[in-house]
Amino acid sequence: MKRTASLFLSVALLAPTLLSLGGCSSNGEITLRVYNWEEYIDEGGKGSYDYDYDETGNADTRPILDKFEEWYETEYGKSVRVVYSTFGTNEDLYNQLKLGDKYDLVCPSEYMIMKLAAEGMIEPLDTNSLTIYNENVSDYIAEVFQNTPAVGEEPLEKYAAGYMWGVTGLVYNPEANGGAIESDLKEKGWGIMLDPAYKKKVTTKDNVRDSYFVGLGILNREELLNLDQSASDYGEKLTAIMNDVSPETVTRVKEVLLKMKENIFGFETDTGKSDMVKGTISMNFAWSGDAVYAMDEAEDQDTFLNFYVPEECANLFFDGWVMPKDEKRDEDTRHAAHAFIDFMSKPESAVRNSYYIGYTSVIASDEMFEYTLDTYSVEEGDEEEAVPYDVSYFFRKEGDENEYVIDTYEDQLSRQLYAQFPPLETVKRCAVMGYYDEAEEAINELWTQIKGETLDAWAIIVICVCVIVIILTVVFTKFSSKIEFRIKPKKGYRLVEQKEIRP
Amino acid sequence: MKLRFSRKMLCIPYAVFLLFFVIAPMLVIVYYAFTDKNNHISFMNFVNFFSDPTKLTTIAYSVVVALITTVVCLFIAFPVSFILARSKFKRKSVILLLFVTPMWINFVLRINAIRELMNWIGLLGEANYFNTVFGMVYDFLPFMILPLYTQMSKIDNSLYEACSDLGGNAFTSFFRVTVPLSVPGILSGATMVFLPSMTNYVVSDMLGNSKVTIIGKFIETYFGTNWHMGSMIALILLAVVLLSSILSGGFKQEENVRGTSL
Repeated sequence: MKRTASLFLSVALLAPTLLSLGGCSSNGEITLRVYNWEEYIDEGGKGSYDYDYDETGNADTRPILDKFEEWYETEYGKSVRVVYSTFGTNEDLYNQLKLGDKYDLVCPSEYMIMKLAAEGMIEPLDTNSLTIYNENVSDYIAEVFQNTPAVGEEPLEKYAAGYMWGVTGLVYNPEANGGAIESDLKEKGWGIMLDPAYKKKVTTKDNVRDSYFVGLGILNREELLNLDQSASDYGEKLTAIMNDVSPETVTRVKEVLLKMKENIFGFETDTGKSDMVKGTISMNFAWSGDAVYAMDEAEDQDTFLNFYVPEECANLFFDGWVMPKDEKRDEDTRHAAHAFIDFMSKPESAVRNSYYIGYTSVIASDEMFEYTLDTYSVEEGDEEEAVPYDVSYFFRKEGDENEYVIDTYEDQLSRQLYAQFPPLETVKRCAVMGYYDEAEEAINELWTQIKGETLDAWAIIVICVCVIVIILTVVFTKFSSKIEFRIKPKKGYRLVEQKEIRP
Repeated sequence: MKLRFSRKMLCIPYAVFLLFFVIAPMLVIVYYAFTDKNNHISFMNFVNFFSDPTKLTTIAYSVVVALITTVVCLFIAFPVSFILARSKFKRKSVILLLFVTPMWINFVLRINAIRELMNWIGLLGEANYFNTVFGMVYDFLPFMILPLYTQMSKIDNSLYEACSDLGGNAFTSFFRVTVPLSVPGILSGATMVFLPSMTNYVVSDMLGNSKVTIIGKFIETYFGTNWHMGSMIALILLAVVLLSSILSGGFKQEENVRGTSL
């Protein structure tokens, strides 16, 4: 009787689980597992585009994911549920995937996409079905995706659809060093990190890739500046220099970075922005999207910061959607994943996301240009101050003759607009840095050497002596009662056992 | 079969907990530490660690930072606990509470506040090592005060009376009664300060601007790129910890006092 009861109980307890598992397929709800960067999507509510630009007061300010679910249902008649989770670094993402976590869409950076593709961990996208993406993506970005090899001869575009892009540079306070900072930047480029005039006034990122890139830039400044930009192989040469991971280069970069460590204020992961605003430091290595955020934040507190992309070379980076391999994925999920990319590429979605996170979307539709115009054009009455700023390289489509020029304030030429859409001549000097492949271990070791503590010989000796003394003290106090000290008696005396004295 | 509830069965949840959350993860760490990227058994991580002077100096450095933190904590906490335990003040629990309250505020917030303070004083970026130790001391002080206070308040007042009866002055009673009897408190306090301050890299990152590196930071960095090396460092740290607790155990037995290990 009892057994039947317990059997019944266990079935009753399990039933909901089984039902829900079965329910998934029966009512046709698709589960789409998306893994993205933290704070890298419009989350609706206050601070979102829909909220801030809402004049009627009844706009739909839900998170963009909810809107996608709704859109998918009306468009394709199937319900989809997005299971959204976030990661902090590309390496975290890689480790999660290696451990066997399953996702339908993930959004790594360019080098991680290359690494995942090379290790066969992602499957090619059905690029033809990405109609909205193909229609709206900037020709410039599409070209980068075509020209960047993912694995072997296969281009990146086969595996990934772009999401956001940017360049690395320096956020700086134009008043620093008595206002000489701008000419110093032009004169020294990345080398300003070693300039004693800015001792303890610069921060850089606490990660090996960005630091290695800066190191390469400092080392090769002369060579990079002397490259012939009009030559057809300019891009290839640039990429080759900035991807140099030969042992000799690693050693040379190490020396540069050790010198840099002496001069800088510190390495940071997220304190740089606030330190800039507070004025603790006057320069900070930044990704363009973060730079826009820092400049916005500073403006709220009446501090005006600028952004500069060093002349020799900067890192062009982009994050893209890729689909990790999963044998169990069905066609419906695959379809929903492609629809997700498409939805994120709709002009209004791109504007929302871009507005929310501060990075530049890869989408170059007319709406996106309108939005950029709205943000950066001079206000009415200020037309005399207007300076033209050409962003045609990004917005112009094939067969399109339009000039995409923004009439903006002069200070925007070195501020948010410059960071979001660096001018063509700047972008031309940018290189994509791939993953390190076989040199990875050597470069990670280099980072250990940079970050690790070095002690002088005397300090090591002192520490060793201290440790030995402590150990000896313990051993001595512990065992002293057990050790018999046999003292040889003097002539004419004899050794007496203790019990002989004390009865 | 009839199931009989015995007292031993109460242990089962703890045994399961230990198995899954202590022993199993430890085995995983050991596995990772002694394998290479292709999951072959390898001692290269071990060899690499001990042949790299930077890693060795960093671990030695962490020990020094932890030692200084512990000693400073002890020097601050000992008088405080002594005064609290011996004073006739009625609301001493309030004062004790004041020392412990910061622990209820989120750790990152507190460290951020210290960072602001250091920035305001002008020490941020100028004295990275001092800032790091300062942050550690600030953070771990309650862990030293609590066991010391508990231990000292247990000391029988008649011992002090006996001491003064026998002609001992305040100094003698402090060094012959208070200090020897609070050794177990010192030891458990020291253990609780020493071990975490070897690995609490958030403090060194925030207050030392990541220019100060303690061994915990290496573990974190390696767990981004190379789990095997990261596990090996974690294992070596475990050995250091084990060694230090054996050493403190040596003191404990000698004193032969019942401890107040928390």
